[in-house]
Amino acid sequence: MSAVAFSVFIFLFLLVTVLGFAAARWRKAESMANLDEWGLGGRGFGTFVSWFLIGGDIYTAYTFIAVPATLFAGSVTGFFAVPYTIIIYPLIFVFLPRLWSVSHRHGYVTPADFVEGRYGSKGLSLAIALTGIVATMPYIALQLVGMQVVLDVMGLKPNSDNWFMKDLPLFVAFVILAAYTYSSGLRAPALIAFVKDTLIYVVIIVAVIYIPHHLGGWGHIFEVTKQSFADQNAAATAQGLPATKGTYPAVGVSQWAYASLALGSALALFMYPHSITGVLASRDRSVIRRNAALLPAYSFLLGLLALLGFVAVAAGIKMADLGGNAQLAIPQLMENEFPAWFAGVAYAAIVIGALVPAAIMSIAAANLFTRNIYKAFFRPDAAPAEEAKVAKLVSLVVKIGALVFVLAMDKTFAINLQLLGGVWILQTFPAIVAGLYTRWFHRWALLLGWAAGMIYGTVVAYQTPGAVSKHFGGSVHNFPGTQTGIYIAVTAFLINLLVAVIATFVLRALHAAEGVDRTVADDYVVDLGDTGVQAELNPL
Amino acid sequence: MSSRSTSLWVAVGVLLLLAAVPPLLVPVYARLTPELWGFPFYFWFQFLLVIWAAIMTSIAFVISKEATRRDRAARAEQKGGLL
Repeated sequence: MSAVAFSVFIFLFLLVTVLGFAAARWRKAESMANLDEWGLGGRGFGTFVSWFLIGGDIYTAYTFIAVPATLFAGSVTGFFAVPYTIIIYPLIFVFLPRLWSVSHRHGYVTPADFVEGRYGSKGLSLAIALTGIVATMPYIALQLVGMQVVLDVMGLKPNSDNWFMKDLPLFVAFVILAAYTYSSGLRAPALIAFVKDTLIYVVIIVAVIYIPHHLGGWGHIFEVTKQSFADQNAAATAQGLPATKGTYPAVGVSQWAYASLALGSALALFMYPHSITGVLASRDRSVIRRNAALLPAYSFLLGLLALLGFVAVAAGIKMADLGGNAQLAIPQLMENEFPAWFAGVAYAAIVIGALVPAAIMSIAAANLFTRNIYKAFFRPDAAPAEEAKVAKLVSLVVKIGALVFVLAMDKTFAINLQLLGGVWILQTFPAIVAGLYTRWFHRWALLLGWAAGMIYGTVVAYQTPGAVSKHFGGSVHNFPGTQTGIYIAVTAFLINLLVAVIATFVLRALHAAEGVDRTVADDYVVDLGDTGVQAELNPL
Repeated sequence: MSSRSTSLWVAVGVLLLLAAVPPLLVPVYARLTPELWGFPFYFWFQFLLVIWAAIMTSIAFVISKEATRRDRAARAEQKGGLL
């Protein structure tokens, strides 16, 4: 890698570092020592800031590496990220304004806070909080994997066998991230998201215009890719292996997998603590709805980016050149095709693209721990300042945990857990979303349904073999009683719902205690300006 | 939801379904032809769906604002009546 690319990279990295620390002074509040400020940025972000923040949250560096990598590797369902990010927005439009309203009026910071208030059940709330934390941890780890991939291609890998020296650049980037998240809270990723998304937009637009032009146009790229996959399939068949590669789901079985992956991922995504954190930080209900209409701009971009996987195939990048790691395909493509200075911009875009979601995720996990474990079970009287102090420390612990994960363990472990994370987080859907509309479900029935979904999903994911591994080999498994593979999370979710419905009937017949609902119907529709909903919580 | 806003909320719901359901109908668009600017149908159609969904959601947003305004007016009247 050239000195030019390196200088550009370092300049942009320093720029966001300064922004990260300066963010503490942005939209300054009277006091930062409470979760509304540190953990939700004052709950006052308008449409513009929220668009960057939520976009920065959903479209992570790992997405930018992994989605094109699956197309590069010839997975016929790889493009599901596009329908997935189409379906998300109508869901956000419908459900999240209600969660926003009830959270504002009652001061809820996390989805588990809401569940506790709605069902009067600390047990159910704990289940939601723990699910959120364990699903988020591997997600953070994967952001680091994304950074590591870029640093690798940049050649920023000191020649040393010592694990610490080997990953020193990653370590440095990480310490800086941890420091400004600690001091600025959610304001840091909100401000850095401007730089991140601007860079990502520029890089992708240039990439999808400049590189295909060099390689003979899109038509040619699709042709070459089709031929390359056909050749690989022929080679596989000759060796007696199944021919699996292709550019799109041509047969019915893969179409079911495609649709269920899109739907299941969309339902799961806004259950993730970090997406809820991004949404709860917005100023009023119409900010959320307006953004549901504006955020698809990112989906368009993601689709173009996904196709860079085919561009890499057409550019002659071979799996063998990448040491069998498809994830290196996109950084390698940029290294090969871009002029040095622009490659520097591209690397910076991906690394900064990892910092933003990693910061939001660690804040979300810290909020969950502080509110729904520390305060709920150990310090019921904790004052807001104590909550903020604990959350800041936990955000450090969460990030160090993710770092150890990536450095000490096999990368596939993080990827497996991320796959499981999607399955797990969807199991919180019935308690949270049904709870926004009705108290019909019994709190313990929801807990039972959650447990059933978690166990089924984990066991089945474990039993799913992949190309190179016996376990956690994929997200798709045959629907019970059929030969049609669908996304494991969706099957687990249906089992979860079924158990919750049956158990509700049983528990009601047994007159099991219902728990106290501290919310009222009006809480779900209040907006800015109504009683108990202020624009600025702690105006200076 | 007041009686004055019901039809508006129904319209919002229909628009959102029009945005969210087509991407799930995979057999409809899992084909390679006709091509557009070298893109197989499968790919350019899904890009089109992104734009389509954005338009549907935008219209739904505009309608939801009016529906919300009517709901708030109705709630304010109700509260006034009780006093």
